[in-house]
Amino acid sequence: MSTSAHDRTARERWVRGGIWLAVAVVLLVLPTQFPEFRVEQFCSWMALAVAACGLNVLTGYNGQISVGHGALYGVGAYTTAILITKAGWPMLAAAVAAAVVCFVVGVVIGLPALRIKGLYLALVTLAVATLFPLVIEQFPGLTGGSNGLAITSPRLYRGVVRDKPIVFEPAFGLAGDQWKYYLFLAATVVCFLLARNLVHSRMGRSLVAIRDNETAAEVSGVPVATVKILTFGISSALAGVGGAIFALNNARVNPSSFTIVVSIYLLVAVVTGGAASIVGPAIGAVLFGVFTDVVSPSLPARYQPATPVILGVLLIVLMLTAPGGIVGIAQSLRTRATARRLRSSSEGTTGPATAA
Amino acid sequence: MNNFLQVLVVGIGDGAVYAMLGLGLVVIYRSTGLLNFAQGELAMFSTFITWTIWEVGVPLPLAVLGGMVGGFLVGALLHQVAVRPLGDPHLRPLATVIVTIGLFLAVNGAAQLIWGTLDKDFPKLFGEGQITLGGVAIAWQKIGAVLVLALMVLGFWFLFQRTKIGLAMRAVASNSESSALVGVPVPRLLMLGWGLAAAVGTVAGVFTAPGLGLGSNLMQLTLIFGFAAITLGGFDSPLGAVVGGMVVGIMTSVLPQYLPIFSKMRLAPAFLLILLVLLFRPQGLFGRKQVERV
Repeated sequence: MSTSAHDRTARERWVRGGIWLAVAVVLLVLPTQFPEFRVEQFCSWMALAVAACGLNVLTGYNGQISVGHGALYGVGAYTTAILITKAGWPMLAAAVAAAVVCFVVGVVIGLPALRIKGLYLALVTLAVATLFPLVIEQFPGLTGGSNGLAITSPRLYRGVVRDKPIVFEPAFGLAGDQWKYYLFLAATVVCFLLARNLVHSRMGRSLVAIRDNETAAEVSGVPVATVKILTFGISSALAGVGGAIFALNNARVNPSSFTIVVSIYLLVAVVTGGAASIVGPAIGAVLFGVFTDVVSPSLPARYQPATPVILGVLLIVLMLTAPGGIVGIAQSLRTRATARRLRSSSEGTTGPATAA
Repeated sequence: MNNFLQVLVVGIGDGAVYAMLGLGLVVIYRSTGLLNFAQGELAMFSTFITWTIWEVGVPLPLAVLGGMVGGFLVGALLHQVAVRPLGDPHLRPLATVIVTIGLFLAVNGAAQLIWGTLDKDFPKLFGEGQITLGGVAIAWQKIGAVLVLALMVLGFWFLFQRTKIGLAMRAVASNSESSALVGVPVPRLLMLGWGLAAAVGTVAGVFTAPGLGLGSNLMQLTLIFGFAAITLGGFDSPLGAVVGGMVVGIMTSVLPQYLPIFSKMRLAPAFLLILLVLLFRPQGLFGRKQVERV
């Protein structure tokens, strides 16, 4: 019997490998099959996915609810934009700096979050998210105020050096948008791998232990305060990288891109995909992107507000029936299939011993 | 001095509106222990109902009553289909936040679907007039807001202290399990609480709409001010909602006079208030202290 059980896990490994290979092929081929505007939309989905991945580390794994990650996403985007435009930094350095700045901001927010928990933390972060665009508009000299800021860098243009909007030049035989796509894809994959390694590490187990029972974790020797603050920082840094991708993709930042609605959409992505699973937020972000960029524009203008209605209802239905999101549904289907297979194989032989 | 009195009067008028929304939030928190992030959107929705009734030619005060009834029904319905199946909010805070956020999105989108995305002009319930007292102009609308708030507080007091339903609602708020055991229909009372909160919110929306224009984002800032009010007053205290609303209203109106940085960020002091109160006195001024048992 042990051989058949071994076969099953081997088969599962093959299936898993196959699925990942298929996903990789699709992700790599995608930009060659679609027009530029679609490829740029895919890039914005990646920005959302990375930020949602960060929110998931905090909310899904650590149980600290943030309704304000849209603001951190915005801090990342504005840091990138300002460093490139006003300080002349290269894009990559600006994006890394965005992650660092957001880490620090996250740690600062994480400190009061040690005392303010659950619904109340949600309230404070909701207020942060509402306040963020207003703060941005307060400093037009730096942020461009309510008009937004075009991300420019000085370049030689017809013999004169001028500030021109940043573009991704064609490289390695790829069009600019495709090159940009692959760069962002690499960054996205790195972020998701980092998050995966984090939650599988000692610290990751501490995160979950704190979420499930803070007192028990403390008693078992988990440095609760340090872990919670660090988690807030790491989560914010990921949101900042998402914001950096957003800024580089659009070559422009606007306060209206970082309203409370963005924070809500990040939660939508995490919850629909599956909180406390690594791929969940990516699936959620893609689903959300398909909704807003493909389904919604195909509706007549009069009926476009149907998108938030559908998303809202979907959120509620998922929470009430399948809190694990799409990943949770897939897992329970697989468990059921395995149970059925075990049952049918045990009927063929004798006794319950085969269930092992 | 006159200038100070003038902004003070404006602040009290605004504060009355925050207190109204806060009262709705308190009613829900007391009965279900839930911070309702969709409260502002419900208020916006029933303000649109009011507008629709008014537009067909019904006098505004009657239309407001109609809007309150509409809001009551919508609030009660949403509680039954979305909130009731959740169970205790403090056991599942994430699910609770997500569901109210889902309601936020759905109600906001529904309003845009039904009434379009263009802001509507909304008339003032108490007209455009004002009186001048010792050089300070006081709009009837502001006086009206304070009077309506006083009526509301009286109404709540009567409901909670002098009626059987109110007694049952208080019983549910204090211990829902024991109340269920002695025969109190708990779910029906929670539904009633949601309906009442939405009805009260309607009035807050009706007072907010003339200044801002009636659109689907009508209450998003007011909601934060309402939350600031009940954070200061204490999440479970109706008196706290009124006092907190007044403090927040006066603060956001007076502060920008002396600190111009706040003139375009009236939300910032409210945010700081929420943060500081939650950090140093989580039960607020009049709230009951929560004891955490391990």
